[in-house]
Amino acid sequence: MQAYIARRLLALIPTLFFASVIVFVTVRLIPGDIIDLMMSQNDISAGKKDREALQAALGLDKPMYIQYFHWIGAILFSGDMGKSLWQNTPVTEQLLQRLPVTFELGLLSLLVALSVAIPIGVYSAIRQDTAGDYVTRSFSILMLAVPSFWLGTLVMVFPAIWWGWSPQIRFVPFTQDPIQNLSQMIVPSIILGCSLSAITMRLTRTMMLEVLRQDYVRTAWAKGLSEKLVVMRHALRNALIPVVTLIGLQAPILIGGAVIMEQIFVIPGMGLLLLEAVSQRDYPIITGVFLVVGLAVMVINLIVDLSYGLLDPKVRYR
Amino acid sequence: MTSVADTALAQAKPRPRRGPFMDFVIRLFREKPLGAAGAVVFMVFLFCGLFADLLAPYGYNQISLMNRLKPPSLAFPFGTDHSGRDMLSRCLYGAQLSVIIGFCAAGLATVISIVLGVLTGYLGGKFDMVVQRFVDAWMSFPELIVLIVVVSVVGPGMPQIIVVLGLALGIAGSRIVRGAVVSVRENMYVHAAKSTGAKTARILWRHVLPNVMAPVIILFTNRVAVAILAESGLSFLGFGVPPPAPTWGGMLSGSGRAYMYQGPWLALAPGLCLTVVVYAISVFGDALRDLLDPRMRGSR
Amino acid sequence: MTEWKRFKNALIAGTFAAGAWIGMAAAENKDKPQYGGTLEVGTVYITLSALSFDPHDWNWKLNHDTGSYLEQLFVGDLSKARRNGGKQAFVADGYLAQDAIKGELAESWAWKDDPLRVEIKLRKGVMFPAKPGVMESREFTSADVAYSFNRLISSPKQQKGYFNHVEKVETPDKHTVVFHMKYFHAEWDYRFGWGYYSPIYAKEMVDAGATNWRNAVGTGPFQLTDFVQGNSNTYTKNAIYWGRETIGGTEYKVPFLDKVVYRTIKDEATWIASLRTGKLDILEAIRWQNVDSLKKSSPQLQWNRWLNQSGTFMAMRMDVDGPFKDIRVRRALNMAVNKQEIVKAYYNGHAELFAYPQHPDYGPYFEPLESMPDSVKELFTYNPEKAKKLLAEAGYPKGFTTKVQVCACSPDHMDLLPLVAAYYEQVGVKLEIQPMEYGAFLGAMTSRTHAPAYFMNSGHVNPTRTIHKSFITGEMWNPAGYTDPKYDERMELVFRQKDEAVRIRMLRELTREILDQAPYVWMPIPYVYTAWWPWVKNYGGELRVGAVRPGPIYARIWLDQDMKKKMGF
Repeated sequence: MQAYIARRLLALIPTLFFASVIVFVTVRLIPGDIIDLMMSQNDISAGKKDREALQAALGLDKPMYIQYFHWIGAILFSGDMGKSLWQNTPVTEQLLQRLPVTFELGLLSLLVALSVAIPIGVYSAIRQDTAGDYVTRSFSILMLAVPSFWLGTLVMVFPAIWWGWSPQIRFVPFTQDPIQNLSQMIVPSIILGCSLSAITMRLTRTMMLEVLRQDYVRTAWAKGLSEKLVVMRHALRNALIPVVTLIGLQAPILIGGAVIMEQIFVIPGMGLLLLEAVSQRDYPIITGVFLVVGLAVMVINLIVDLSYGLLDPKVRYR
Repeated sequence: MTSVADTALAQAKPRPRRGPFMDFVIRLFREKPLGAAGAVVFMVFLFCGLFADLLAPYGYNQISLMNRLKPPSLAFPFGTDHSGRDMLSRCLYGAQLSVIIGFCAAGLATVISIVLGVLTGYLGGKFDMVVQRFVDAWMSFPELIVLIVVVSVVGPGMPQIIVVLGLALGIAGSRIVRGAVVSVRENMYVHAAKSTGAKTARILWRHVLPNVMAPVIILFTNRVAVAILAESGLSFLGFGVPPPAPTWGGMLSGSGRAYMYQGPWLALAPGLCLTVVVYAISVFGDALRDLLDPRMRGSR
Repeated sequence: MTEWKRFKNALIAGTFAAGAWIGMAAAENKDKPQYGGTLEVGTVYITLSALSFDPHDWNWKLNHDTGSYLEQLFVGDLSKARRNGGKQAFVADGYLAQDAIKGELAESWAWKDDPLRVEIKLRKGVMFPAKPGVMESREFTSADVAYSFNRLISSPKQQKGYFNHVEKVETPDKHTVVFHMKYFHAEWDYRFGWGYYSPIYAKEMVDAGATNWRNAVGTGPFQLTDFVQGNSNTYTKNAIYWGRETIGGTEYKVPFLDKVVYRTIKDEATWIASLRTGKLDILEAIRWQNVDSLKKSSPQLQWNRWLNQSGTFMAMRMDVDGPFKDIRVRRALNMAVNKQEIVKAYYNGHAELFAYPQHPDYGPYFEPLESMPDSVKELFTYNPEKAKKLLAEAGYPKGFTTKVQVCACSPDHMDLLPLVAAYYEQVGVKLEIQPMEYGAFLGAMTSRTHAPAYFMNSGHVNPTRTIHKSFITGEMWNPAGYTDPKYDERMELVFRQKDEAVRIRMLRELTREILDQAPYVWMPIPYVYTAWWPWVKNYGGELRVGAVRPGPIYARIWLDQDMKKKMGF
């Protein structure tokens, strides 16, 4: 087991290397570079000399591979991810500010998704192919099929007209004022959670169905144990597997943010940070965010894979 | 004179043999009525999309300012938008676009998934390890953000969106194909084929691929729905197929949202189309999985 | 008259007088400014967060975010606002009428000859507040002005030639600063005085790190106390601010508010809903499409209407080979669009046919269409027959096809352009629309690789800049590539002209000429609306009193918090 963990951790290095190179290069491929954007702030055309002066001031005049090594070196040796090209604020500071927000939104969505999906999934499995099964499954797929931005807009527009209420737009960190913070986060969490619940529900249902067919469950039934007992004791533990799978699948959103919800509900998370950085061509922020998100997601996936070993005895790690 | 036996023989015609496809269709309708309904609905939209040019009463960009924001009526069954364009026609053409985007992106994604999954799953070793690290890297990024960055690079437009979606979904889906290939690889008949000296390509084609088709088909149907939804998300953020292209997602996130109060039909029409199609494909995909997945067989 | 009658009359008169006096006092009390409260604003740039807090960066949006705590030499005089009986709208982003400018940090100023210079006497007793880690509280002096100016011209991001007219800055004493000029420049006060780049700040702020918002400190009515990128700016009252405001004959210390918060919101539905539910007190830029439903759901809202501060047009490249090199083609394309119908049916009447390059808010600089020569008026009539004739004369009897680039970021343009294309089809001209993302769209223009037709918005800014930025050879914002050395010369002469009346005449001529030359297809310009709740007092929808600078406006607003509570918010 330890060898497996060690190997997986080691495998993170080339993965991260790949990720960093991909991101570094791709971002600089976006047409309309930051020099253009900065120079266009002025009314008068900038000559070649001015462009070059600005490029040098931003450190963008060196060849790409040198810029890359500067960047990677700074991260590895001094934990410095650089500064925003526009704001001059350190990237690390921005990340530390936004990560907890995104994480909170992701966590709440996860909780909503699980509390909706697991009961539905279990019920659907036990009552497979009955009308109840169809209805609950249909509802869950419906949640998936309605785009989240549309639900979000509905919630934003109509209550304001009908009842004079709209979701809170003042962001306050959870540590400062939990009630106000939650009052802002609750609506987007529900919307996100509902669309996530569809996937989880199917996983739960599949898992439960498989488990229910197992011999030991049939034995338990044959022994005359009540259905509830059978389900609770034997099957539910296996239901944790889709939970853990969901965490793995949703890790990018947990860390990387749900851009659409953040935009509609004015939440200063990682998604919006990235979106704004992309439209401003703020390369250090883009690369910094991708790297942090990538690393965090990979670590979360490792933990998820390991927990499979604990939950599902069939899984063996060579 | 013909004997009784002859007449009996002549009358007793042998039952016609139905192909495996017909068998499957009958099973679908009999065992999974919801999934069958989904398939039918999707076929209807497919038909509408393919024949939009014939079915649509107006052009999709027929601007007529005096007819702007008219509610649904006999002349305009789905109403008109803020430029006076007929919503029914736009939704029909939208079906065309969404179907194209959905199918092409899903198709491309499936091809990529198969190629990547089969090669890495079967060949294994160093090649597998390297490619898997690359896939890991790709999958650790939030999907929408990756799409945004790539669309920024290549610019907005339908072919670009299809390629971008296809790539993103394909790389992610290769994992599932790889998993299936790995489990098949260890099978007896593959070993047997190898021991008789069969070429790798032949083994892949004759033994591996057919056994991987089930998850691939399920993946494909799932991807169509995902692609259509992803395009709508991109449109909302401003990175989708640009107007006046009448994609459902574009209509919903653009004029549908801007005029949500003054003209709810602007959002209702494409929204319903989007939801119904995605829903139909999803239940169909579910039914497919139930029927094709060997683990699910016999689970009465 | 009997004694009794006289007494009765006096009593009645006295009662009336007393009643009137009490009534007036009560009315005055009702409008007596209250201190306290937080103002939540959705500003004109609601989707844009601050790009920079350091004047060294030469960022156009600087004053919008720093203008509450960093002050300048001059500022717009709000007593000349329309709600105070004056003529000024205070909406233009880079224009202040000469008679509506007053001193902010400057108390008085005068041009002197031999050597040519402007002597500015600075206000005394203005204090920088203490900022832990940055500076102690101290008096503002002329050294700060000189420092701010010199730092500006040493920046790598500066606009070339912006301060060519300034020879040097001298500070003969603590409260006098002298700008020695090489020659007179008409924009001297705009460029360093109330313009985009001229806030005055302390050296201590730079030493601590001027790009970091946490070090922000200035002499202004508020101080920047919080900044969440892409989400909000929070400004808190500066207790030692020097400013005063006279309301109803009484002088008050400003600011009245405890806090001002800018909300950065990316989504239109969200900011409209937030205004409706009172989460925003002021919303400065509302598209006309939302006005009717807002008026219906919230009838108590107060409104102001203003014409968009940027021109909408389709630039036609005259600097590459193609049909647009011929003036007949360009004029034909102007006449082939039914601009009146666009105003009536597309904008529902919420637009003006003619408002670019000069803006109607520019007073005498703006010449209305009626007084323009016929050749200019013709461009604003719908005449597809004449258009076809001109096209045939120019050698395109069957029309032609051209690519046109547009920014996918503007829903208005994305809707308008297909309409224009439909008009052009009637005269045989086919438009191939190519939408682009903002950065790429802008990059195409700045690198001069943009398509022959380019559909865009360009800010007016002010009467001189509107001509200079778009029609002078080599300018970045000149997408048509218009070039005429004589025109350039005449523009330069405008800058050197001391007499404003003559400047106005010269600019009018330049404007007529460029309209006639039709490097652009001149499009109608939409109206935009500002709305605010009635508990926001001493405010009439003004937007700027300096280049993109709203700070002093917010400093004079007070909130009737009782009214807000009574209204249920």
